Amino acid sequence: MSKLLSPDRSTVLFLGNEAIARGALEAGIQVATGYPGTPSSEVIESLADVARERNLYVEWSVNEKVALEVAAAASFAGLRSMAVMKQNGVNVASDFLLHLTASGTRGGIVLVSCEDPGALSSVNEGESRYFASMLEMPLLEPADFQEAKDITKWAFELSETIGNVVMLRSVTRMSHASGNVTCGKLPTKRRKAGFEYDGPVMDSKTGPMISTPVVAKHVLRQQKLKDVIVEEVMPFLEENVKVLASGIAGRIGIKTFFGKYDGTLPFAGELNPDVVADALGRILKVKRKFLPADYLKDIQKTAAMIPAREQTFCAGCPHRASFWNIHNAIALDGRKGFVCGDIGCYSMAALSPATGYHTMPTLHSMGSGTGLASGFAKLAQFGLDKPILTVCGDSTFYHAVIPALINAQHNRADITFIVLDNAGTAMTGFQPHPGLSVSALKDVVPAVDIAAICKAIGAKVAVSDPFDLAATGRILTSFLADKGSLKVLILRQACALSPEKKGKKTFDVRVDESLCLGDACGCNRLCTRIFRCPALTWDRNKKKAVVDEVICAGCGVCASICPQQAIVKTEVSGPG
Amino acid sequence: MIKKSGSQTELKKNVLEQSLCTGCGACVGLCPYQVIYDDRTVQLFNCDLPDGKCYAFCPRTPADYDHIRKSLFNIDDLTPEIGAVKGYYFSRAFDPRQRVNVQHGGTVTVLLELAMAEGMIDSAIVSSRNNEFEQHGLLVTDQNQLRGYSKSWFTVSPTVSTFNRIPDDRKKRTGVVATPCQATALAKMKTAEIPGYNRSDLPGLVIGLFCGWTLSMGKFSNLLGRYGVSLADLTGMDIPAGKNILEIFTGSGLISVPMAEVDHCVRTACRYCMDSTAEFADLSVGAARFGADCEEMRGWNQIIVRSDRGKQLLELAIAKRALQIREAPPSALQELKNAAAGKKKKALKNIVEKSHSTKNLLYLKSDDPIVRKYLRVDRKRKRKS
Repeated sequence: MSKLLSPDRSTVLFLGNEAIARGALEAGIQVATGYPGTPSSEVIESLADVARERNLYVEWSVNEKVALEVAAAASFAGLRSMAVMKQNGVNVASDFLLHLTASGTRGGIVLVSCEDPGALSSVNEGESRYFASMLEMPLLEPADFQEAKDITKWAFELSETIGNVVMLRSVTRMSHASGNVTCGKLPTKRRKAGFEYDGPVMDSKTGPMISTPVVAKHVLRQQKLKDVIVEEVMPFLEENVKVLASGIAGRIGIKTFFGKYDGTLPFAGELNPDVVADALGRILKVKRKFLPADYLKDIQKTAAMIPAREQTFCAGCPHRASFWNIHNAIALDGRKGFVCGDIGCYSMAALSPATGYHTMPTLHSMGSGTGLASGFAKLAQFGLDKPILTVCGDSTFYHAVIPALINAQHNRADITFIVLDNAGTAMTGFQPHPGLSVSALKDVVPAVDIAAICKAIGAKVAVSDPFDLAATGRILTSFLADKGSLKVLILRQACALSPEKKGKKTFDVRVDESLCLGDACGCNRLCTRIFRCPALTWDRNKKKAVVDEVICAGCGVCASICPQQAIVKTEVSGPG
Repeated sequence: MIKKSGSQTELKKNVLEQSLCTGCGACVGLCPYQVIYDDRTVQLFNCDLPDGKCYAFCPRTPADYDHIRKSLFNIDDLTPEIGAVKGYYFSRAFDPRQRVNVQHGGTVTVLLELAMAEGMIDSAIVSSRNNEFEQHGLLVTDQNQLRGYSKSWFTVSPTVSTFNRIPDDRKKRTGVVATPCQATALAKMKTAEIPGYNRSDLPGLVIGLFCGWTLSMGKFSNLLGRYGVSLADLTGMDIPAGKNILEIFTGSGLISVPMAEVDHCVRTACRYCMDSTAEFADLSVGAARFGADCEEMRGWNQIIVRSDRGKQLLELAIAKRALQIREAPPSALQELKNAAAGKKKKALKNIVEKSHSTKNLLYLKSDDPIVRKYLRVDRKRKRKS
């Protein structure tokens, strides 16, 4: 038996890293990930040794960001998990970490950073503690070996209390020295993995795992932090001015500071003239002259007259067709699969559920969708047995997805990965990316083929046009039914706003009113109620669908969703 | 604003989530919201309409089935066990060449061919198999093509969805070969009262098939796997009388599977079905099961004539020498009735076990006289034991 599994109340000589691993075991950890780096590696190594016996999932991830993503997937599914790295690994993970602290977590999750003061086995002396302060997460630092075990165990409870990730910091002299540790009980119960995301957006237990609405979620996170710990994240300027003032207190005397500490200013959200004027009014004890009483009423009345508009994809956007296909494939499969989201225009699928047809419940940093999917796919052993999908754009693919994709393949994560290839970095204005044969300087450069990379990784690869709903649907349903391997579907269709497409319609699209069923049983306005392309509008008088020819980009996809063939498309001949 | 839940939600709650869906296809093909995929009825998107046809046509949504029975058939013909009976015979194709490669006596194919040849209908929906060996309804407009679809595969075909998709003006001129649940759905179409829906006497002809249960594709495919064959190898299937086995014919020979094994593959929904003779059809056809000589009877069907239209077709089939008819002895009818009554009692028992109440009978009404008859028998027996 590994000494890591020593019985309750026995005293064992543990390496500091083993004490951390034992603490995690006592906390009931089920998923542990990491990227090797001295002095952190023994935590994962010792957990891997007992993984089969304790029924854990342990992986060496492709990098620290992916390690944190895989651990976060377990947390989202209600399990306790841990990601382990060395100090500079936190830099690599930090992009996702920022988004993770914003979306919050569920099952206890601990980020272990083993640091190396004196750079005994590093080429830097980096400090990751500032991340804890910057990202507003609790930081725990054990001072001896017993504490290393005990505090690690408690860190998971703390994480669940505040609904966020907790950072545990060790140093070389702690991780690599040994000391006596008295063990506690190892739990016998295992949690079942399950991922809920249909609840309200502000409910971090049942809602989608996304950081929006950003300010409201930020306040929620801070509220939970305040509830449990006295330590608070310092406002940068206020703190530094106070340090400065204390240094010269002899000259300037003791001053009173108004700011975030005393509640004069809020801890989250923007400061606008109203907020600052209110604060100044309170400090100077001046009653602010407010606007006329009916001003607010007038504003509300006017606002009510503006038609509500939701965030949505543009008319002719390939993403709408892609998510239509994804939604249908998930529904047909019937196992309630879901999509891990990523950063691009397609993020709107998470921000506006009607746009993504309720398929995409997670959204974090670039590349994190694939990392999270890689993690979710490993939770089948804990009962989360459903198809896991993830999407990314072509530019995002090159930016940060490749490591996560390699991670998925190497660790046998059964995921369906969809590249929404719209031929450019569309959201920011069509800058070239490595998939195109043009550089920023307009030089002709080699294009790097996404399909070839995915094939080289060992995935099953298919390419389709998302506007061809039937063909794309067939590939997706067969991918979801094909268990046990990494599947890649590249959906190629240029952005509707791309320079080569803009203003040119492939099809003239119109509604044949004699065929349109409208409100009746038979379609119940599938086109304007569910599909919701902004170019499809509803004529209230005629009670029929209408194509707004000014907005319509002429993609023709709606013609294939109308069950009555009432939407008619005719090919535009010659230059439109 | 809290919206009243639409028909589709009710369908999901009362049928799909209760494992009552028979896969008949009645709710499919009316709209883009419901589809059949991999032997399941899938709701793709939410539809919030009240008074949906999907809910009204489903054979497993609550309805006044007694009223439907009485409005479609002559009250004097109704029997509690097997519905309306105008006549009961043994039959087979007159022409021996038409009895090759068919199920039993080939009666259904002969009747459809005749109905098309005589202009009673001009197209027929039969069930066909696709490349994955899933069944689907196929609209046949050429009577010479009917011969290719005359076998039973014991899995569900969403036949009614094909009927839903044909234009309204052609429905009257279409015949449908239907299992009991499908015939029930078609009867509900004829009698449904929904705002804005013009019900009429559609389809033109329903030929019902006797059915004890259907198989779940997935489970059956696994079972075949254990016998070393796949769905692709099947050339035919039959349940011979009195042997308690399912015969599976393959290119490389006959496999006999004990019924106990087959029972595990039966669709859950079939356990709650009271109808084994397609009581809402114009004519119902099944394998003849009578007497000691099973092998001799294998080439025959038994046929129940239920409606005037059914009677008219059968008389035509006899006059045109398309069908060969044998008078069935009264004891054969009694044997059929006993078997059908047994199925009804078992279904009601299963329903009560599921709902934990003799008042809540899922899609059936507790004051339906047929339900009362077979529920009561069940109670008496309990008291005796």
